Amino acid sequence: MGRGQGEGSCSPCRRLLSKLGRGALLPLAVLLLWHVASKESAIVPSIPAVFEVLAHPLQEPASLDAIPLAQSAAISMVRVGVGFGLAVLTGVPLGLLVGRSVWASDVVSPSLGAAMVISPVAWMPVTILVFGLSSPATALYGDDSWQHGVLDQLRFAIIGVIWLGTLFPIVLNTASGARAVRQAHLEAVRVLGASRWQVLSKVVLPGAAPAILTGLRVAGGIAWRVIIAAEIFPGTRGGLGYVITTAQTQAAYEYAFASILVIGVIGLVLDGGLRLLAVPVGHWQPRER
Amino acid sequence: MTAPREIVRCVSVSKCYQTGARGEVWALRDFNLSCAEGELVCLLGPSGCGKTTLLRLVAGLEEPTGGEVRFEGGLSDGSNSNLGFISQEGDLLPWRTAIDNVALGLEIRGLPRRERHQRALAVIRRMRLPESVAGSYAHELSGGMRQRIALARAWCVHPALLLMDEPFGRLDEPTRHELQHELLDLWMANRGTILFVTHSLEEAVFLADRVVVMTFGAEVTTWRVPLAHPRDRYSPAFLDILRQVRRSLAGRASDATP
Repeated sequence: MGRGQGEGSCSPCRRLLSKLGRGALLPLAVLLLWHVASKESAIVPSIPAVFEVLAHPLQEPASLDAIPLAQSAAISMVRVGVGFGLAVLTGVPLGLLVGRSVWASDVVSPSLGAAMVISPVAWMPVTILVFGLSSPATALYGDDSWQHGVLDQLRFAIIGVIWLGTLFPIVLNTASGARAVRQAHLEAVRVLGASRWQVLSKVVLPGAAPAILTGLRVAGGIAWRVIIAAEIFPGTRGGLGYVITTAQTQAAYEYAFASILVIGVIGLVLDGGLRLLAVPVGHWQPRER
Repeated sequence: MTAPREIVRCVSVSKCYQTGARGEVWALRDFNLSCAEGELVCLLGPSGCGKTTLLRLVAGLEEPTGGEVRFEGGLSDGSNSNLGFISQEGDLLPWRTAIDNVALGLEIRGLPRRERHQRALAVIRRMRLPESVAGSYAHELSGGMRQRIALARAWCVHPALLLMDEPFGRLDEPTRHELQHELLDLWMANRGTILFVTHSLEEAVFLADRVVVMTFGAEVTTWRVPLAHPRDRYSPAFLDILRQVRRSLAGRASDATP
């Protein structure tokens, strides 16, 4: 009897452990495969070599323009943060408008449908045509821009690609959420004397919130994938995408492998964060598993 | 003694809905109604006879095709915040707790959070709900509790007029009776004006000062119920009135059938 109770009190943590264990199965299999491959091949970097790189993120490798891995990761995150932030600030209001106004929906929806199927990276030539190699640094300091490294990293062309890549899924999801807000809920608030702004802030926005967050999660994943591709373009310095391409040309594969691991971990944290954000917003809805 | 103030006045009100390309449906035609302050009027009639349309016009949620709907002397155009509206589903905002639903009208009027919660809680207690429901969401409440919260939400702003669209229609009988008593309780204590739509003759006779019987789009008959509140639904007088109204309606219906 006593044993049964003991098991009962521990079963939640045991369940969590076994769940985590199952989640670790595939990564472990990949590590094993990788280990075998590195033994057989002279080019594939060994696991210890890659973890050596990860253990010293502030090292300034000559093969990578002396840009430390940690700095590259930070640069990529800032680019994603700025582009994604701009997309949220513009996409959510636009989505609410499209969702609540038939006129706006008629104007925007067909173009939105077309824009959704264009790969975000395809916008890169367009944004480079529009922005060239300009950045906040070139805009503010002109010829002295190279002295302002951080600002110079925020190339408008790269930010523009992230913005375009994430804008459309945010608009689409926000609009469908705003469209699905029940007429009865809108009227219940109108009858109580709410202004247009109050109807928007007290009914449309909270009613659409779960759909908006779904859009943000989708867009967050896209942003993180697109940034790597966008950083491959010429003129880019720093960023995890830059590390991967440069490491390949310099045959410093351990840096490419290390970057891939960092990308995976940051993506996992990003999605987990957006998922946590969705918990207090969607609490009144049937649970998602 | 002066005559009681007129709260609602409908003068030859018509409402036509466009359906599809050419079709039009007249929900109301030349309908007249007047509601005095403190009166509880029940609109009775079969589904589709225009009862809900009338309530929506009075609430200012829709505009009449013809005629005039006046509320407290002014045209009812949706800018009025001095009324409450309760539908069959209650329409609580599902992302808000019960207390935040009740306090919604006060929030719209800009009351600080503390004060509106105090007042909302007082109304929740008044509705004989346990204080523990305050933090619950609509999906965690029973149908009866939801309608109580909806009633509390409407009542919280002390509306001059309460519009109720079959609010107890989906409840089981004991709960329905309970809520009818609660409503009468509130009404007798505060003497608000209530326009109550129902398709239950028994409910109408139990609640109303005046029963307005509608058939497709126009007023047919008005019955004054000469019994004091609260009424005993098993008393001979009550059953007698119920029988009279029912017989009269049945007669009318058989007259109407060719």
